[in-house]
Amino acid sequence: MEEGWAVAREPMDLMQGTLDVLVLRALDPEPRHGYAVSRWVRDRTGGVLQIGDAPLYKALHRLEKAAYVEAEWALSENNRRARYYRLTARGRQRFKEAEASWRRYAEAVSKVLDPA
Amino acid sequence: MKRPLFGFPWRSERAIREEWEEELRFHLDARTEDLVADGATPEEARAQALREFGDIEDARRYIRSLDRAAEAGRRRRNVMGELRQDLVYAVRKLRACPAFTVTAVVTLALGIGANAAIFSVVNGVLLRPLPFPRPDELYRVWSASRSSNRTTVPASSPDLEDWRADRQQIADLGGYWYADGGSGLDLTGVVEPQRLQGVFVTAGFFSTFGVPAAQGRLPREDEMVRGGHDRVVVLSWSFWQRQFGGDPSVIGSSLTLGGEPFDVLGVMPAAFRYPAEGIDVYVPYSTIPDHEIPHIRSVRTLQVVARARPGVGPTTVETEMSSIAARLAARYPEDKPYDSATVRPLQAVITGPVRSGVLVLLGAVAFVLLITCVNLAGLLLAQASTRGREIATRVALGASRARVARQLLTESMVLALSGGAAGLGLARLLVGALLGLSSGQLPRSREIGLDGTVLLFGLGLTVATGLLFGLVPALRAVSGGMRGLLQDRGGGSPGRRTTRLRDGLVVAEVALAVVLAVGAGLMARSFIELLRVDPGFRPHHLLAANFTLSTERHGESYGTFYEELIQRVRTLPGVVSAGAVKDAPFRGMGERWGFTTPGMVVPAGEEGPTAMVLHVSDGYFHTIGARILDGREFTPQDRADAPPVLVVNETLAKRYFPGEDPVGKKLFTGADHPVTIVGIVADIRQAAMDEPATPTIYVDNLQNSRVRVTLVVRTVGNPLAMARPLRRAIWSMDPDQTITSVFTFDDIVSESVARPRLLTVLLSAFGILGLALGALGIHGVLTYLVSRRQREIGVRLALGARASAVERMVLARGLVLGGIGVVVGLLGAIALTRYITGVLFAVAPTDPFTLGGVAAILMGTAALASWMPARRAGRVDPVVSLRAE
Repeated sequence: MEEGWAVAREPMDLMQGTLDVLVLRALDPEPRHGYAVSRWVRDRTGGVLQIGDAPLYKALHRLEKAAYVEAEWALSENNRRARYYRLTARGRQRFKEAEASWRRYAEAVSKVLDPA
Repeated sequence: MKRPLFGFPWRSERAIREEWEEELRFHLDARTEDLVADGATPEEARAQALREFGDIEDARRYIRSLDRAAEAGRRRRNVMGELRQDLVYAVRKLRACPAFTVTAVVTLALGIGANAAIFSVVNGVLLRPLPFPRPDELYRVWSASRSSNRTTVPASSPDLEDWRADRQQIADLGGYWYADGGSGLDLTGVVEPQRLQGVFVTAGFFSTFGVPAAQGRLPREDEMVRGGHDRVVVLSWSFWQRQFGGDPSVIGSSLTLGGEPFDVLGVMPAAFRYPAEGIDVYVPYSTIPDHEIPHIRSVRTLQVVARARPGVGPTTVETEMSSIAARLAARYPEDKPYDSATVRPLQAVITGPVRSGVLVLLGAVAFVLLITCVNLAGLLLAQASTRGREIATRVALGASRARVARQLLTESMVLALSGGAAGLGLARLLVGALLGLSSGQLPRSREIGLDGTVLLFGLGLTVATGLLFGLVPALRAVSGGMRGLLQDRGGGSPGRRTTRLRDGLVVAEVALAVVLAVGAGLMARSFIELLRVDPGFRPHHLLAANFTLSTERHGESYGTFYEELIQRVRTLPGVVSAGAVKDAPFRGMGERWGFTTPGMVVPAGEEGPTAMVLHVSDGYFHTIGARILDGREFTPQDRADAPPVLVVNETLAKRYFPGEDPVGKKLFTGADHPVTIVGIVADIRQAAMDEPATPTIYVDNLQNSRVRVTLVVRTVGNPLAMARPLRRAIWSMDPDQTITSVFTFDDIVSESVARPRLLTVLLSAFGILGLALGALGIHGVLTYLVSRRQREIGVRLALGARASAVERMVLARGLVLGGIGVVVGLLGAIALTRYITGVLFAVAPTDPFTLGGVAAILMGTAALASWMPARRAGRVDPVVSLRAE
């Protein structure tokens, strides 16, 4: 599934929801700054999901407003000020719910696709 | 969450923006560095980082809007938090000084309560639209005669038919004949025969109002004209409930009215109470036979209501009506003088009689509220300066002045709202009392109550009041002077500005109280004048019974029945004398006849003089205690077969027989019919206590008889004790005789002055309230002054000043302030009282007696209010006051 296809065909909220779950996962367990989240997503998906950085930052800020994550300025690995995002208790709870429903969804799709 | 007392500064828009730019910069730099580390050139790396990022502008917009929303929410929470903090603080502060709080809340409750109560009257009587569809299209219409300067003459039924036929811009119009106690109908064939209050209506009456029947239907046009099936009746809601318990099956049944069967067509809704409260039935005017009221142009009995077409204004209606009237005047000789029409909005006609009185009351309560505000501003100001150090400390600790002002304003708002809530509670009671006091004196009184509009008015008033009296101290708290406050250790003399401001408040308060007291004084004076009016009769010990003789039962001999009835009543034990009149004073205006005196020439086409005509029995004048100035009153010898005679009143005698003795002269009434004047009676007021008598002719009821009778008896003792014997005497002669009402003359006099009495009572109450509040203000300010200047006074006393000198100093200050206030107030009163001329009787709005009296009372009050603080100043112990440092 390519992003362009997803943006064009998928309803926006599904896309947002998907991205939000990925971002929440990226912050579990340790806090990361935006670039680290971007790199983590790229590494974990091996490039299958090509996610632009702009939507990523939008998601981070959206999650911050919803109080799923908290932001804080701190020094990065190479001693520059960076904005670090940390999961809140509320965010962790949200991630667990989202994760569970994604797994159920994936299972259901797999069952349909697998001729039992 | 516990917040610091004074919040930290908020993040600015700019800070928000820069934070995001830094985050973005970090991301792009980090990505570029990583790509360079992987071997790309810096330019390539930068370009790829940007490409991977995607739409920077879109992200920037999105994030900025998110941040802004979050920030706004934070700010709102912050303000709410501060507000809650202020409220908690205010309540704590107010509870800490209960004396101040109670004084303030009670004062406010009085001010706001009185205002809400009076406003509910204004709202119900003057402001709310009449309970008819599109009420602003409704008008009252009268015939007018420009030549004889009569503008509100009823219409005749043939005229009304022509008006209806010729109308263009008028959607509809209809007439009605109603006289309180006069236009009644006997209901028989029921358990208790009774006299019903009826309105006789013409075609067009119901359709003009456009109010549908609540039950059944209204009569069609063909059921309201001669020759149609016009024996139909529409019931009022209250009669339907009272007589039939709201039983719908009465519709379609038949009622015996005046001995004839009438079909009940329908019931009007409860809100339809036109033209008066207490109407029982609506009956077609066409059912009145010609021998009672002839349907000819010269007999004008009909009041007219009209509805204009949508969008048509009053001038158009008046023009159209006048041109129709002019055409009729040209066509019919009887209509010749009535060549014009008067048109007035229905609402103005209904509320007109009380409008000025109600507005005067509204003005008076507004003054009460102003005094309340000034009083409270003074109290708060005194409080604010004793709290100067607390405020200064808070400012020194970093609170902004706006924040402090907001805190003070919150306090006054809390006060105002408590006062307002108490005031609305008080208003409920006041409205009840007001309705009791004003029973029968206010039109639309059933529409008075504390509805949403009144509550909203009360709330608005409360907020305005809180702002008004809270703003002065709050503004003072923020406008500098903080250093002074911090240095002030509570013992020094108050700053010059504060003193002047407080003095100004006292002057204002006294001035406002003067205006109120002058209004109350004028009203009271005018009421006393009204009570001193000689109505022309002696009302004590007079009892009256009002009824209509039945021509069905007595036929042409009803005159004999009338004569015998009076004779019978005269023999009752406890009766001194008895007589009868068609309409008792203040209860009706008899009839209006044209007449001429010998030798008088009335130019053709002009109307000659007219006079009110009252049909009376022999002994009537003697019974009511009227004075015969010349000649004699009617005697039992003035019968139908004796030569016709008249008695005229003094006004007629003086106006039409100047310098002559009219006794023995003749008057021509009707068709050149000469009648001899046998006596002159001193003027008897018939319209109202405050309306001088008009030319009046008295006719002996045996010589020219009428069926409407008010029997009047002078009793030995309490007149009401004779009510039962009187009824029994009537019923012993005709058991079916219905009695419309029984009343004493004391009652009718009292009713006649009820409206001015109500105004006097209310204005006096407001005047006393204003006076008390004003005295409280002077007292408070001087007490405060003495306590603040205790050290100075102590020094003076220690240096040898005499206590009496100190007392004089304080007293003089109070009197000077009071004096200035009185002068300002008198000037204000002279400027304002001309607006109450309309409700005054025989008193000029600048009555020097009242103005002087009020000035004296106010100065006395000021002296009294200054006296106690002055005594306290004289008793200051120099040692104690100096040690207090």
